[in-house]
Amino acid sequence: MKFGELFLKGRNRHDFISLLKTNILKKLRGFDCHLVETQGRLVLSDYIEDFENEIIERIQTVFGLIGVAQAFEFDTNLPSIEDVVVGAVEDSGGSKSVKSFKIETKRADKTFEMTSMELDKHLGEVVLDKFPKLKVDLYNPDLIIYVEVRTNKKTYVYTNLLPCAGGLPLGSAGKAMLLLSGGIDSPVAGYLMAKRGLKLEAIHFHSYPYTSVQAKEKVIELARLLTKYVDEIKLHIVSFTEIQEEIHKNCDADYMITIMRRFMMRIAKRLCEKNEAGAVVTGESLGQVASQTMQSMTVTNSVIDIPVFRPVVAFDKEEIMDVARKIGTYETSILPYEDCCTVFLPKNPVIKPTIKRVEKLETKLDVEGLIEKALATEEVIVVR
Amino acid sequence: MIYLDNAGTTKMFDECVEVHKEFSCVDFFNPSAVTIKSMEVSKKISETERFFLQKLGASEGNVIFTGCATESNNLAIKGSLRTGNWEYVFSSGEHPSVFNVAKALEMEGRKVHFVPLLKDGTVDLAALESVLNERTRLISIMHVSNETGAINDLKKISALKNRLCPKAVLHVDGVQAFMKIPFSLRGLSVDLYSFSAHKIHGPKGVAGLYVKNKTALKELFQGGGQQYGVRSGTENVSGIMQFRKAVEMIDVQKNLENVRALKQAFNDAVSLKGIKIVDFGGSPYIECLQFEGVKGETMLHALEQRGVIVGLGSACSSKKAGNRALENIGFSKEEIISSVRVSFNAYQTLEEVTLAAKIVCETYKNIVERVAK
Repeated sequence: MKFGELFLKGRNRHDFISLLKTNILKKLRGFDCHLVETQGRLVLSDYIEDFENEIIERIQTVFGLIGVAQAFEFDTNLPSIEDVVVGAVEDSGGSKSVKSFKIETKRADKTFEMTSMELDKHLGEVVLDKFPKLKVDLYNPDLIIYVEVRTNKKTYVYTNLLPCAGGLPLGSAGKAMLLLSGGIDSPVAGYLMAKRGLKLEAIHFHSYPYTSVQAKEKVIELARLLTKYVDEIKLHIVSFTEIQEEIHKNCDADYMITIMRRFMMRIAKRLCEKNEAGAVVTGESLGQVASQTMQSMTVTNSVIDIPVFRPVVAFDKEEIMDVARKIGTYETSILPYEDCCTVFLPKNPVIKPTIKRVEKLETKLDVEGLIEKALATEEVIVVR
Repeated sequence: MIYLDNAGTTKMFDECVEVHKEFSCVDFFNPSAVTIKSMEVSKKISETERFFLQKLGASEGNVIFTGCATESNNLAIKGSLRTGNWEYVFSSGEHPSVFNVAKALEMEGRKVHFVPLLKDGTVDLAALESVLNERTRLISIMHVSNETGAINDLKKISALKNRLCPKAVLHVDGVQAFMKIPFSLRGLSVDLYSFSAHKIHGPKGVAGLYVKNKTALKELFQGGGQQYGVRSGTENVSGIMQFRKAVEMIDVQKNLENVRALKQAFNDAVSLKGIKIVDFGGSPYIECLQFEGVKGETMLHALEQRGVIVGLGSACSSKKAGNRALENIGFSKEEIISSVRVSFNAYQTLEEVTLAAKIVCETYKNIVERVAK
């Protein structure tokens, strides 16, 4: 397994790697295996081979890794390297299915007799001797044979380097609270922030009986789909019914959504404090709907003094949908259950709300009281 | 909890549990094996088949046991398809397990007619008459509507078939009729009749299809040739025996009278401006309520919070917006969205349903106040 940006982390590197190892082993819960670090690589061994595909698939979802390959491990010596490299070409179908190849050597063990360049050249000749029909192609080869001579006196040879999730180890950046609505955008936002190392908890606001129980189940399912990447999610489910009813009764319809969003932020802030989360994550995309304009964000941000991360703020809907499909949340997101916002939806929500006006409207509400009542309805589900 | 969604499913009779135990843990043998134990089980199934034929009032034919009414309906329709220039006739108010099969036939390029409904929810017989002809291969019309309770007149439909397309196959989805309203297939030209266990206090996972002429019905899947080769697969012995038990427990006429009284009591107690009872004059087991200005689904959730469970039309179709039967009868979109389905069972009490009706009124009043500006 190769890790990505961790190289940049200087003295914290050790902590990052140990967190990464913990995260990998969590993902592999239930599989017997052995995980070690050898300078610059993580090596997993001693697992039951029948489970290899499943293990690799899981490893590909670990943030902080950029690549994984099934490798041959053996004691470093030139004849063995030659044999294994030839064997790897054979395993790839030899000249029957491959026309060109390239050897890519990394020699971390500087005591080894050849340099990387020399080894590349030598092994290339060995392969050509054995498979005269093959050609060397350094730019667009059908097959790349990676040879890594590591400092633990072991050499690793592999051909099928698979991409991993990238990013930083989950938890290395702290914890955040994701506003999970049931739409397409919020799971994507959660995924993107988790990728940058944030552990996630999530909040869902429901308006039962105006919304269905299925809407809530859908959000639980979305959280469950995200756990493929983030291990587990503590989901806080809060009733928004009374807040909506009160805003609907007392405030101007065009400000309904603006005021709702401010309540959501206030409640999110409170739950962050309670659960030691340092930021809020939302799936807002600039200009996507009236409540996602710059002015709306100003008005909603003004009730909260911790960072609000909006990773898809610059994404087009299509781009968000692409990520949703990639991470597997799209199909669930488009299930047609009404979420929180559609029941009291005004026909013409304000596009450029002002703090002055919203604060005036909110004087008609018992803001603190409503927040307390909503928090009292909190239901916590740990989704795994 | 007061359960008023009995057209969706019913609570199983406790007596069925005993039967389940007997045929799962004691007489658990595979009816297809040739041991004496297995033959005994096999005989019980044959005997039960005759029992069902008798309950249906059929003088000839067989009963095929399936996994659900959806399977029965699929078997009936797909098993009756023929190649060539044939026409297939359905009512517009059919349950999704018939309607969506019809839609699929249409997609395959077959000629399909959908016959509209009248204001009372029954199929428009004049319209039916106008589409039947010698090319009609299959007519599929439900006995009692799962959305409205409207009862179609099988005698008249049989007569139309006999006069206009005697060679056609007549399938009736009888899920909401079997053991709920009195009827007999004797003398009717019904060739296939679907019925289900879990709507009449039996277990889920078992249903039946009456088949007048099994050689004319093509099987849905191949296998060990059980049930005359029409439905391969090891019989759900316990399910079939529980189904029989449930049927044995029911007195159709007595239950019908009970339910009529329940419906009357419920309707008498639902008297509030804004709530409309839509009575189609069909099966008393099913009726429809409309709430002015409030979505049916909101009422459903609010009622559940207060311990009353109602339905939104067919549970199978309520996952999608709209209600086909009500739409076809000519209700507006608003009326349909504001509708819930109330369906009774014969073992409820007058007190129970009267209380439920009161809760319905209170809940509606409460919601109207909460959403008022």
